[in-house]
Amino acid sequence: MQNGSPGFFAGKLDELVSWGRLHSLWPFPYGTACCAIEFMSTESARYDLSRIGSEFVRFTPRQADVLVVSGTITFKQAPILKRIYEQMMEPKWVISMGACACSGGFYDCYCTVPGIDRIIPVDIYIGGCPSRPEAFFDAMLELQEKIKNQSYIEERKKKLKEQWESIKEWGLSIRNWKK
Amino acid sequence: MNDLILELAEKFGAATDERSIDKCAIIAAEKLIETVSFLKETHAFDVLIDIVGVDYLGMENHKGKRFAAIYCLKSTKNTARLRLKIQVDENEKIPTLSRIYPIADWQEREVWDQFGIVFEGHHNLKRLLNHVEFEGHPLRKDYPAQKRQWLSENDQMLDQLENRLEHLGYKVI
Ligand code: SF4
Repeated sequence: MQNGSPGFFAGKLDELVSWGRLHSLWPFPYGTACCAIEFMSTESARYDLSRIGSEFVRFTPRQADVLVVSGTITFKQAPILKRIYEQMMEPKWVISMGACACSGGFYDCYCTVPGIDRIIPVDIYIGGCPSRPEAFFDAMLELQEKIKNQSYIEERKKKLKEQWESIKEWGLSIRNWKK
Repeated sequence: MNDLILELAEKFGAATDERSIDKCAIIAAEKLIETVSFLKETHAFDVLIDIVGVDYLGMENHKGKRFAAIYCLKSTKNTARLRLKIQVDENEKIPTLSRIYPIADWQEREVWDQFGIVFEGHHNLKRLLNHVEFEGHPLRKDYPAQKRQWLSENDQMLDQLENRLEHLGYKVI
């Protein structure tokens, strides 16, 4: 604990939490175009995404962990996407599926967002037009690898520190106000 | 069908469009309502398939006005087709057809949205495809194709839905 590395219990807790997280990644399908069809086939019996724990596709952002953006995002659609992302609970991850979501694809025009990373942060990009289900699996496994290295304890520490700072600020402002 | 254009030429001063490969008559904007009602009543043109906008800016060998609106008519009785072309400049208006063909309501909104051609007498001329916050008319030739605009809020479609429901006889609370 003293020199930055978590102790035995904290380390085990970290492992337990990330083990739980990475084997129950519930996707939220934000499908707007042809790539969504490929996502559907990833979900269905032939490829079966539930093999790696993504058992349910949730159609409400409140219950989902991974936002899967599959398809072309237009500027008219962009405020909706941003809102959905903001409604998701922490921890949350974003997969950008297909050329359109990653970069706007071949729609080099006035109405298409050139990459969703201009609106929301993206964890994994998948190329292809459309990306194959295998590529999607690859992205999911990569995401799991990423989550494995995230530390729950560190996250909490950071959050608590932020909260403590804001409480202190609030207290200071009250004191100044009384003066 | 050429007889039809000749008849239109006699009655409403229509001209044949030389550029076009199929039947297309050029008529004046003031004669549109008369012509279309005549075609609908006596020649059974009962479907308005589409209204298409054209911007001729920068086109080679183009003389005359900058914009055109093309009305594609079809008859389900005798399978005839006819196109009517109306040429307008930026500040000229075309009378609305939405009282003769109800579908023209949305088609005219689309043409106005994309080209900025104004339809006089339209009861609800607002954007159909583009967002309410969008500025300009994107299919005009002088709109830069890659000029993107950030839009900040969700578009509300509820007013139209309510109109539609009321039109169908439902009561919106
Ligand atoms: S990347 Fe290709 S397949 Fe995917 S949404 Fe775009 S056009 Fe469709």
